[in-house]
Amino acid sequence: MQTRVLFFGKLKELAGGAEQSIEISSGSTIAELFDRFASQTPALAPYRSSVVASRNQEFAPWTTVLEPGDEIAFLPPVSGG
Amino acid sequence: MALSAHDDLILLVRDPIAADALVKHVRQADDGAVVTFDGCVRNQSHGRKTLYLEYEAYESMAFEKMREIAASLHTLFAIDSVAIAHRLGRLEIGETSVFIAVSAPHRKAAFEACRHAIDTLKKTVPIWKKEFFEDGAVWADGELPPVPAATPLAKRAS
Repeated sequence: MQTRVLFFGKLKELAGGAEQSIEISSGSTIAELFDRFASQTPALAPYRSSVVASRNQEFAPWTTVLEPGDEIAFLPPVSGG
Repeated sequence: MALSAHDDLILLVRDPIAADALVKHVRQADDGAVVTFDGCVRNQSHGRKTLYLEYEAYESMAFEKMREIAASLHTLFAIDSVAIAHRLGRLEIGETSVFIAVSAPHRKAAFEACRHAIDTLKKTVPIWKKEFFEDGAVWADGELPPVPAATPLAKRAS
């Protein structure tokens, strides 16, 4: 299934864009989705432990299973304010 | 711009924040206090001279998280209403990046709620700041938002 993925902050620069669409088998988790990007773009891999994910604009654990139509985002530590 | 059930005001803006309008919005006849927080762009970071900042957000999620903060203040503190505005894009030294106004019948709740609002915003709202210096730019160190533990439902789906 096709999944829409958003990157922000430093991750956006490393991933080479703010938004990407990726084909991933149904039943995959958010962790597996990140690993897919990290294998394509090794510079992302070291950030795995300092990133949180969101699914449909709610913070989501790495074990979350993707559903068709999900909007996933990978968020570096936030620094608003 | 959005008004909630409590007449709260939540804004993500690219133009300068109209702080006076936010104060006016929350200040009603039955309030005895309005406490505000004005977060502004500092001229240095860890001893390096800052030229300007750029803020970006996951806008739809940031807006929702700011709305959640305002809603939580009503359950935690005896307040009247809340206005929270965060600015995005390029900000110059001295400009306001975030402004929070909280009104309450009594000052204690207003102080505590305003403090809670900015502390929570800095931990949970997906906004990022890039600092531009004379010799380069860096994304500011931030806080990793807390993520809820995996739910039984999520596990069952696998």
